[in-house]
Amino acid sequence: MSERLFSEDFLRRLERLALIARRAVRGQTQGERRSPRHGQSVEFADFRPYVAGDDIRRIDWNAYARLERFFIKLFVEEEDLTVHCLIDTSPSMNWGQPGKLWYAIRAVGALGYISLSRLDRISVTAVGSDGHFPPARGKQQALPLFSFLQGLESQVSSAGNGSYPRDIVPGYSTRDVARALQAYAASASRPGPLVLLSDLMDDGWLEGLRMLGGRGFEVTVLHILAPDEVDPQIEGDFKLLDRESDATVEVTADYQLLARYRQTLTAWQEEIRRFCIARRMNYAPVLTMLPLEDLLFAWLPRKGVLR
Amino acid sequence: MNFIAPGAFALGLLLPVIVAFYLLKLRRVERQVSSLYLWRRMVQDVEANAPWQRLRPNLLMILQLLFLAALILALTRPFTWSQGVTGDAAILILDSSASMAATDTTPNRLEAAKARARQLIIDLADTTRLTIIEAGRQAAVRLASSRDRRQARLAIDSIQPGTSGSDMGVALELASAIAARQPGSEIIVLSDGKVELPERLALKGRLRFLPVGTSSENQAVSLLNLETRPDGSLAAFVQTSNYGDSPARRRLSLYADGNLVNAFDLEIPAQGDQPLVVEDLPLGTRQVEVRLEPPDALALDDRALAVAPVSHLVRVTLVSNGNLFLETALKLLPGIELLQVAPEDATKDTLADLTIYDAVAAPEDLPSGNLLFIAPPRTSTLFTTSGVVQNPVLRAVDPGDPLLEHVSLAGVSVLDAARIPLPEWALPVVMGDLAGESTPLMLRGEVDGVRVVVLAFDLHHSDLALQPAFPLLWVNLVDWLVPGLGGPLPAQVAPGSSVSFDLSPSGGSQPAGEEVATVRRPDGSSVQVQPENGQVVFTDTNELGIYQVSWGKDQGAEFAVNLFSRQESDIRPADSLGGASSAPASNATTAAGQRGMREFWHPLALLALGLLVGEWLVYQRAGLARGRDWIAGRLGGLFQPTHH
Repeated sequence: MSERLFSEDFLRRLERLALIARRAVRGQTQGERRSPRHGQSVEFADFRPYVAGDDIRRIDWNAYARLERFFIKLFVEEEDLTVHCLIDTSPSMNWGQPGKLWYAIRAVGALGYISLSRLDRISVTAVGSDGHFPPARGKQQALPLFSFLQGLESQVSSAGNGSYPRDIVPGYSTRDVARALQAYAASASRPGPLVLLSDLMDDGWLEGLRMLGGRGFEVTVLHILAPDEVDPQIEGDFKLLDRESDATVEVTADYQLLARYRQTLTAWQEEIRRFCIARRMNYAPVLTMLPLEDLLFAWLPRKGVLR
Repeated sequence: MNFIAPGAFALGLLLPVIVAFYLLKLRRVERQVSSLYLWRRMVQDVEANAPWQRLRPNLLMILQLLFLAALILALTRPFTWSQGVTGDAAILILDSSASMAATDTTPNRLEAAKARARQLIIDLADTTRLTIIEAGRQAAVRLASSRDRRQARLAIDSIQPGTSGSDMGVALELASAIAARQPGSEIIVLSDGKVELPERLALKGRLRFLPVGTSSENQAVSLLNLETRPDGSLAAFVQTSNYGDSPARRRLSLYADGNLVNAFDLEIPAQGDQPLVVEDLPLGTRQVEVRLEPPDALALDDRALAVAPVSHLVRVTLVSNGNLFLETALKLLPGIELLQVAPEDATKDTLADLTIYDAVAAPEDLPSGNLLFIAPPRTSTLFTTSGVVQNPVLRAVDPGDPLLEHVSLAGVSVLDAARIPLPEWALPVVMGDLAGESTPLMLRGEVDGVRVVVLAFDLHHSDLALQPAFPLLWVNLVDWLVPGLGGPLPAQVAPGSSVSFDLSPSGGSQPAGEEVATVRRPDGSSVQVQPENGQVVFTDTNELGIYQVSWGKDQGAEFAVNLFSRQESDIRPADSLGGASSAPASNATTAAGQRGMREFWHPLALLALGLLVGEWLVYQRAGLARGRDWIAGRLGGLFQPTHH
């Protein structure tokens, strides 16, 4: 099943990448990451004077021999960290060629593989459906992750690209999206790097992001849009049907209207970008036309998400 | 507004069809999108900013409805009643007489008439053939049956106001002849009606008279004469006329050789004349000018010029045994230096302008001047006598003969007269009828440039000398025999008329054939005129003012051209052609307000075309905007600095 997502060669290339955590976070078990705790690893960090109560085993006797004072030798403790991935699985994501959801799933799969190969924990949650992949660690968890993602994909796209079964996946309202993110923020025991893959086509997303940022997550927003959302190829009188609801909008699409649409889109993206910058979040608008390789090996490293 | 084809309004049923099409078409194509999130954001934005946006989709429909409405309206062929031309051919007659220069309509009547003519041309149907005739001193066709409207405008522009009357009769005859060849012609006369029409005028085609002019208030100098008094002083006779309906006060200024001599405040009665005699003009005055000030509607007739008569004496030699009638008559004539000689004393007097042989035999060797023979006793070199006729009855051959002007021969009796067979050179003036025989009693003619008159009867054998006709006859005789009596030229000439004069009026010297006369016009330009048989005919007298003629070494004369024309000075606009004085044109309808239909579907069709173009532009606006942005982008790239 993994062949469907990635080739072996691609996975090998992924192993060279690593997620950048700007802040040191506390982990559960020893991993490859710096921990805020000074512990017993091999990498020396600092000295500090001995105070009563310190473990006398950690006194640096060599220093005492030179200076006749007690110093405690501090080491950098390396720990693992949990990478949180949130995938928007609202009906609007099942759109485009290739589909935005499929693109997001592949990106999550790649990010998850990178994390697993670096001995980090990975946790994937689908916002808009009930899928949840609990935090897992170790390369051997890659196959379960991939199959979970493919299950997510088949669950959404099984009904075909054209008509989304609304009765199967209940439409998420603005309040639902915000509440789901709030719940996630509250329930996550170890805030860490969080990657949100969504088209953000709901006002609830920004509200939820605000809560995630407040909880201490290091958020990266991959704003995934299909080409025909950026530049709609329509001209004439249309009645536009929403995939997510029964709502319709009547438009007479002419050059001016389309120009205004693009203007609105740019303003919207700018609004989100400002929102993210204000909260020290990474914001990366991604078109599904962009090959995944370029996203992973060029686009995200440049954004400071991967290295 | 009326309609020729109101049935086309039925096409208005198509209007609801367009609306129906739109209602059908407005069912929009359904298209699924991933999310309406952005669209709703934008549409809210748009609807908040531009409420009219809702109407915009219907702009095309509105334009199409308007286009169809304009097209239907054009198809109904609407028209208004107008003064325009409706015939297949139009003949415009523009009066360019002096009265058309009156400024009672601004700038003047002729310009108003020209403007009217231009408007008529604009209103003409495209297929109407147009002829333009200028009725000036002579009628002239300016444009002949043409459809070229530019030519027509040029022809109208070229018409300038004249200084004389208008030959409307000939113009109408011309128009009638053209109309006869073009059925459906309409003759339009643009005039103030101050025209002379022939008594009988049969016109082909319809005639419409469009009067020009509003006012009749005009005063004119109607006469100016200069006269040398017996004491040698110069006097001027001026007559001013008021053609308006109210009395007028005008100032009359009199200039002698350009210097103001006198000014008179005149009260000219309505429709009346005010004569004025100005005595004792400065000695040696050559030209006199009078002006009415300030100028009125017609400026041409406010000014008149006159040339002082040149006083040179005519030498007349009377060879007679004594004739009281003859001597008295000659002495009464001014400007004659009479030399009376007995027959035995007669010598060949080469200086005499006229030699009269009164009942005496003429010598073989005749003098060089002109000759008058009265009752020749015997045959001379010029004619033969063959006896005597008793009691002939006088009969004028041609009452219009210059010798018989104002002369009535009725009641004149002649006892006897010499019978003179008519010579080759001679023209009979008066015949004597006698029992089936007819013999000339007075004849005139020219022999080798010498004017000769023969009177066959003795004045003593007739009661002619007792008749009132006698002094008049003598005036005519001397005028004809000595044409230079009052100067070689007439003192006054009407504008446009021809002036003829002999280069050797005194008869003393033979005319030199190669001599050329130079005429200097009032505007300062000069013309050279080639004489024929010693006589010069000058016709270019359209300009008012003094004309100076010079020839030979230092010989010269002047004449004045003045608009002394009641016809032109009376600027009262006429309601019909021919004015009030002359007989109206016989069978011509001269209704001024005749109506014609003027269609105006052209602008409606143009409007429809414009709407169609507009509709297309609206339909293609997206492409146009794209093109505009592309060009702007290209231009922007062009002007962006490439360095830095």
